[in-house]
Amino acid sequence: MKNLIFLLLFWPACAQSQALRVAVAANAQFVMEQLRTAFQKQTSVTVESIVSSSGKLTTQIQQGAPYDVFLSADMDYPQALYKQGLTQAAPAIYAYGTLVLWTVGDLPLSKDLTVLKNPAVRHIAIANPAKAPYGEAAESVLKHAQLTDQVKAKIVYGESIAQVNQYVLSGSAEMGFTAKSVVLDPSLQQKGHWIELSTDHYSPIAQGVVVLKRTTQGKAAGQFVQFLRSQTARRILQQFGYRLPKN
Amino acid sequence: MPIDWDPIWLTLRLASITTFILLLIGVPLAGWLALSRFRLKPLVETVISLPLVLPPSVVGFYLLLAFSPNSWLGAWLLRTLNLQLVFSFEGLVLASLLYSLPFMVHPIQAGLENLPISWREAAYTLGQSPVRTLWHVLLPNCKPALLTGIVLSFAHTIGEFGLVLMIGGNLPGQTRVASIAIYDEVELLHFESAHVYAALLLGLSFLILLLVYAINKRVTI
Repeated sequence: MKNLIFLLLFWPACAQSQALRVAVAANAQFVMEQLRTAFQKQTSVTVESIVSSSGKLTTQIQQGAPYDVFLSADMDYPQALYKQGLTQAAPAIYAYGTLVLWTVGDLPLSKDLTVLKNPAVRHIAIANPAKAPYGEAAESVLKHAQLTDQVKAKIVYGESIAQVNQYVLSGSAEMGFTAKSVVLDPSLQQKGHWIELSTDHYSPIAQGVVVLKRTTQGKAAGQFVQFLRSQTARRILQQFGYRLPKN
Repeated sequence: MPIDWDPIWLTLRLASITTFILLLIGVPLAGWLALSRFRLKPLVETVISLPLVLPPSVVGFYLLLAFSPNSWLGAWLLRTLNLQLVFSFEGLVLASLLYSLPFMVHPIQAGLENLPISWREAAYTLGQSPVRTLWHVLLPNCKPALLTGIVLSFAHTIGEFGLVLMIGGNLPGQTRVASIAIYDEVELLHFESAHVYAALLLGLSFLILLLVYAINKRVTI
């Protein structure tokens, strides 16, 4: 009996065939679902994705988290891991993120962002600029529109794009700056409306991928990084509003 | 690595205000629970104790939706009191009240229930009302329980994290409490400042609990 309980407790641990664990920054969680399906179809490698903010994933990787591949929202975090000798190679850019302003209300959005001054907009959600590139980009866009001081009191910080999305969807914040990949997800396409912001007003959000040195799945990890450059993956990334590096 | 003291002060302010209001709510509530023979008492006790077992994320999720201007409650608060509870210090106070309520009520209720019933009966025989009995006879005789309630509520509010993370919005001076500041510093890979905040909270919590255990040889929650 005791042995049986033991077996049941540890069953998942011994029976699990090794999946490829991909740590994914919050902005790419929706596109990752599709990339995963396509990759699994091609290679029959099972992929598990772990979604969090790039900063948290980086900290976890430094402390030995058992991930194989890391898709960051920026280049700095994977670069830091590379410098510490935790990755197989320097980070490669897999996509450039695009910033949008999103609302589930019916306030009209315009390119000059004057709507943000509207008293009906009490809270504007942005990702924490200190650790999220989309937050940094949002700040830069506000600066460009010369709204920084006027809307300062309205800004609330999500810990990552994922929390900005929660704030916008729950209506806690009337407006939020998020990734285009979020609002293009089929499940969210009917939710509110959004406007794409000029890419001249913020530095390109280059997103890097690295394979971790500690991986036990070198082959599958390499295949996945290769796959990100394939036509199939590029098409999926484009559908989600990412711009692509030159191949 | 300059240390920003604001989150520490904010945490202490949140904990003090929460504890003070909880004392005002918790004493009558604990008195009523200890003295009454109300049939639905178990139900009330269950509701009060829920925060002990519910994950903060559950409470946070419900509060995020309830306080949002899109919900009837959030809309009503905004219309009548011009109060928005998400992303505000007031919201954190309300959330902490819910979340630390059992830590105030349970020790006081237990303290009152442990007093000899004859004291109460003697006071009633002498014509005192239950309220006067509670105030003049029973409460003065369970000071350790009161202190336990106060200290535990304070400590529990200091330790809040998940709830604040979900409804706070990380606003410096408003909702960026020490536990959130630590979390941020760790994510930014600033381990030195995270260490400072963490050590401060560890020391503070240790002292608070030591105080409780020194006063009551046995804490009952």
